[in-house]
Parts: sequence; structure tokens; C-alpha cells
Amino acid sequence: MNNELILELKEQIIQALNLEEMTPEDIDTEAPLFGEKGLGLDSIDTLELIMLIEKNYGIKLANPAEGKTIFKSVATLADYVSKNRKK
Amino acid sequence: MVYRIADNIVSPLGETTAENYQAIKTGSSALCRYDHRWQIPEPFTASLFTEAQGRALAVSGLTRFEALAYASARRAIEDAAICVATANTVFILSTTKGNIELIGQLSGDDRPVYPGTAARHIAEKLGITTLPVTVCNACISGVSAIILGMRLIEAGQFDYAVVCGADVQSKFTVSGFQSLKAVAEEACRPFDMERVGLNLGEAAATIVLGREKPSADSWAILRGAVRNDAFHISSPSKNGEGARLALSAVTKDTDTGRLAFINAHGTATMFNDQMESVAIERAALNTIPVNALKGYYGHTLGAAGILETVLSMAAADDHTIIGTRGFAERGVSGRVLLSSENAITCKHDFVKMISGFGGGNGAILVGKEEQGKPCVDGNERGSKRGCTIRQRVSVTPAGAFVNGRKLETTATGKALLTELYKCYVDDYPRYYKMDGLCRLGFIASELLLQAEGHREEAPREDWAVVFANRSSSIGADKCYQASIQDAENYYPSPAAFVYTLPNIVTGEIAIRNHYLGETSFYILPEKDDNTIAMLIEAAFQDTATKYILGGWIDYPDDAHFAAETYIIMNDER
Repeated sequence: MNNELILELKEQIIQALNLEEMTPEDIDTEAPLFGEKGLGLDSIDTLELIMLIEKNYGIKLANPAEGKTIFKSVATLADYVSKNRKK
Repeated sequence: MVYRIADNIVSPLGETTAENYQAIKTGSSALCRYDHRWQIPEPFTASLFTEAQGRALAVSGLTRFEALAYASARRAIEDAAICVATANTVFILSTTKGNIELIGQLSGDDRPVYPGTAARHIAEKLGITTLPVTVCNACISGVSAIILGMRLIEAGQFDYAVVCGADVQSKFTVSGFQSLKAVAEEACRPFDMERVGLNLGEAAATIVLGREKPSADSWAILRGAVRNDAFHISSPSKNGEGARLALSAVTKDTDTGRLAFINAHGTATMFNDQMESVAIERAALNTIPVNALKGYYGHTLGAAGILETVLSMAAADDHTIIGTRGFAERGVSGRVLLSSENAITCKHDFVKMISGFGGGNGAILVGKEEQGKPCVDGNERGSKRGCTIRQRVSVTPAGAFVNGRKLETTATGKALLTELYKCYVDDYPRYYKMDGLCRLGFIASELLLQAEGHREEAPREDWAVVFANRSSSIGADKCYQASIQDAENYYPSPAAFVYTLPNIVTGEIAIRNHYLGETSFYILPEKDDNTIAMLIEAAFQDTATKYILGGWIDYPDDAHFAAETYIIMNDER
């Protein structure tokens, strides 16, 4: 797995979602980003993450529902970004 | 009893209520597709004034937004034939974003975009001399404003209320709703299977309310209620609990057989329409026809609650239930009665319902009381007698005080709030997502409730959250504007946009504490303790309200915020 990309994504998530008090080490790469466990992100965060991958990697998600599988964890996100990135 | 003295609508479909009503009765709509308006890359459909209409509305010394609101309020006052330049008249402005289109042009002074500034300009132009109150309660503002007007007249504070709702559209609002994936490219389809989102619209609508009955068959605002979902700041709850409670509050112990229709919010987003259908069914009102008017005007934001109430009165006077334009096949699980065609009715009362960001839901019962037999006994309504302030909390960049005792803190400014969070809360990471205004209100509410000493886990309908300020959501507004200002780096931030409504703080507190009671946010041109007290007293006129967590919370910037908050209890309930 691309550790550099994973660290980069964690830093971007912390910044984009205002998780001020967290560091990349606090985010478990495999843990779910949404729901009660993990980071407990919600629907607005999904939209914010869609904007994040468009801004930083040129990936346009037409259907927000796709986000559910892509944003399951930092690991799934990194996998998707590495396969689909335009920049 | 509080009566409708006069009303007006200024929209792309006409400049009087009659013109607007005739337009929608014959199926006209001002919705139009725009492909590159305001340099917004994604196409959208909206109901906007044409350039010629805009020029005709322009008034020297007023902004585009102010001139629109003024045009509607002026016509309504003329029709009412009352003198407004006395201490007996209050101006209530309902808006979500007022002059926000000026935010890219500010130079040091933020006041031009404060909604209270706009309210003052409009009131002065109208010749109204009392301090104007702006209702900034997101999409439910219009209904909230009518309820406030009703309460202030019933309480004897004023004889007349000029209640005006308005919003204009701009890159700020359209891109924001697009960032939330809520905007449809084509004309919206309320409650339909194929609905994909809302359209935005520009309009102003005014109702002049008064205590004196103008004629034998005058319309009256019979009841009004606001309830919160306590679920999410931008999504309605799945079971429509807040909307159900608001509907039940305004129809309880009344003869619902008198209702001609329920005018729903019907924005045509997936979640709103689904939630409303569930709420109507759960309130056992699903035998009454339902309609929605967004297919004619789009969502006119601060105007919507007033515009749709005025049109519903005109329709009921014409014995007509206006068809839901854009609707074809029911695409909601609640079994509600909808039609795209106009229908005839011999009944005359109706319920206007509305829901919005911050979890707020409003409903009013509007009707014509029978001679000598009012629908609602005025004595049922609450009074201000026997209210006690139980706790007080104030917070400024210099420190925090609980009932006069200064808390030991070391940080100042914005960092003070985070220090207070870590020291006194520390189990609610949502705090870090909040904008400055929400953090301030949240910390003040936590300190108040800790001083109160007990917290209940069960949902409470008897707790209301009522705040006022001056600078609205200026911090969040600037934060969101930064995400759209640069065309080369245009990435509208949904997380920033949701906080560009000041009433979100009331929703955050309701969610944290499971409060299902009223949530309201008001804006004043300046801090005025008498007016704040009047607004809090008005909230107690809802007899379901026993406790109010509220006061003043203003967050113009990280160095100048101020909270003066309290828990106040009505001892008689």
C-alpha cells in the first residue's frame, strides 16, 4: 500500500473536516470513517470528501452515493485515488 | 385574535398578490434554466427577476435585496391604509441571507451584510420608527416571522406588525445549495418519484397583521408553532418528529374537517418531501389534500413561508386548491393526497408547514373564525407571568462567567472556547467542526446546563432555544466565500456552507440535548436588552415551552465575540 498517499490523505481529511485536535497517527487506516465507530463522519463530510478528491486529485464523482464504498476507510480511499487520480 | 390586514407579493410573476395568484392558477412558472449565470460552472434552474424587472424595482440608496423587500412592504402598507410611523407598529424582516451578495466587496466594515442593517434601511424607508426585528431561522424564517408577529400583537406589544420575507439569489447561495447536491438542473418536481432536488427563487412577500378585525370574513392567524427535530443540522429526521409535533400543536383540539388543504414545504429534495409525507401521516392529517408551490417560484428561502401563506389565502378565497406543479406520481412513503391539477374546495382554513436547516419545523393554522365562536380560545395562550432566570453564563474573549463567578482559564480569544471545551465538556468531538458562533453558543449552553445540575437523556418538547445577535453568521459567511471567490480555485465547501445560517447553533444545542421544542434565531441592528427580553417573553406564548435556553450570542470575529445567555423557566408550567 502507498504509505505516502495514505499519510497525505489523512492530513487532508484532518484539514478539510476541521478535526483540529487529531494527528494522522490518530486515524486508523483500516477503521471505518463513518458511523459510530472510527471518526463518526456524516453526510456533509461525504460531500466535503467528494470536493477534496476533486480539488486535490482531479477526480469528479457524479453520484454522491458512490462515496459510500470509496470512503469506507482511508485504505479504500487511497486505493480509489491511486487508480483514478488525474493529478 | 390576530388578523391579516393586507398583503403583497413581488416576484418574477407579478407585483401584486392578485397578479401572482392569477399566474399560478393558470399554471405559469418563473422557473428558467441558467447555464453560466454568475460564473457558476454547473447549470441550474431558478426563478430570477429579469434585468428589466430588476431596474424597475431599484430604489436609490437601497441595495437590490432591500429594494425588493421595500417594494413588497410598501405596497402592503398602502393597501392596509395604516400609519406605520408610530410606536404601535413593528417591522419584522424574514430573510436567510439578506445582502450576502455584497460579501465579495466588503472593505473592512462587515455591517453592510448584517441582516439587521438591511432591516433598518428598509424600515426607515417605510417610515417605521421602532427597532426592526429580523428572523433568521433558515428556510422556516417566513413562518417563524408570522408567528412572532402574531405573538407580539397578542401580547399587546404592538397593534400592527409588518411581516416581510425576502431573499435574492447570487453565486453564494446557488453554489452553496449545489455543494450540498440539493439543486436540480431542471424544474423541480415536489413529492414526485423522479424528483432530484430543489430550485431557488427570488421574491418578497408581506403580510400586515393587526389586532382589529378589518371585515367580517377576515383571515386570522389562529395558531403557530415551531419544533426541532434534534436530529441533524442539514437533514430532516426520518420520522419527521419535529414536523409532526408542529402540525399537532396547531391542529390539536380543532376541527380538522374545516381544513381545505395543507400547504407543504415541498422543496422536491429527496429527504424533505419524504419526511413531510411521514409527518403528515403520523399527525393523522393525511385525509386532507396537500399541495406545494415550489414548481411556480422555486424555494424563495426567507420569503417562502410568507409567500406561500399569502397565496394559500388567495386560493382559499377563490375556493381553489392550487395543483402541485411538477408532480406526477407519488414518490414518498407517507400516504398523502397530491394532485398536479387545481381542485375546487368549499372549505377555507388551511395549515402552512415548513422545515429547514438547523432542524427547525414550523406550522401555522390560518382561517376565518366563525362569528362569535373563535376557533381557539385566546386565554389558552401563555403569558410572561412567573418567569425566573435560573442560570446565567457570559463568555467573551477575556473570560467566562457562570452566575457571576469567573472560571479559571488561561487562554484568550478563540482558544478560550477550546480550553473551556476541554475543561468542561471534552466528550463531543462535533465541537471541532462548528464555526465560531456555534462553538460560542455550544460552550455557553454546556456551562448553563452544568450549572443547572441535571441533564435528561429523554427528548424534551418543553425546552426551547432562542438566541439573538447582530452579526448573523459573518464568520462562516467569509469562510464559505473564500471557497468560491477564486474562479481558478472554485471548490464550494458544503461543510462551510451549512454554517452560513446563524440558527444552526440552535440546532446544534437541540441535537446535543434532544430538545424538540422551539428553536428561533433573531437579528437586531444593535444589542437591545428590552427587545431581547420581548423576544424571549414571546417564545413563552407557546404553552408547550417551560424552559428557554437563550440570550445574546454574537461572533463578529475571533477577537470580539460575546455571549450573555441564561436558562429561564416559566414557573406556572
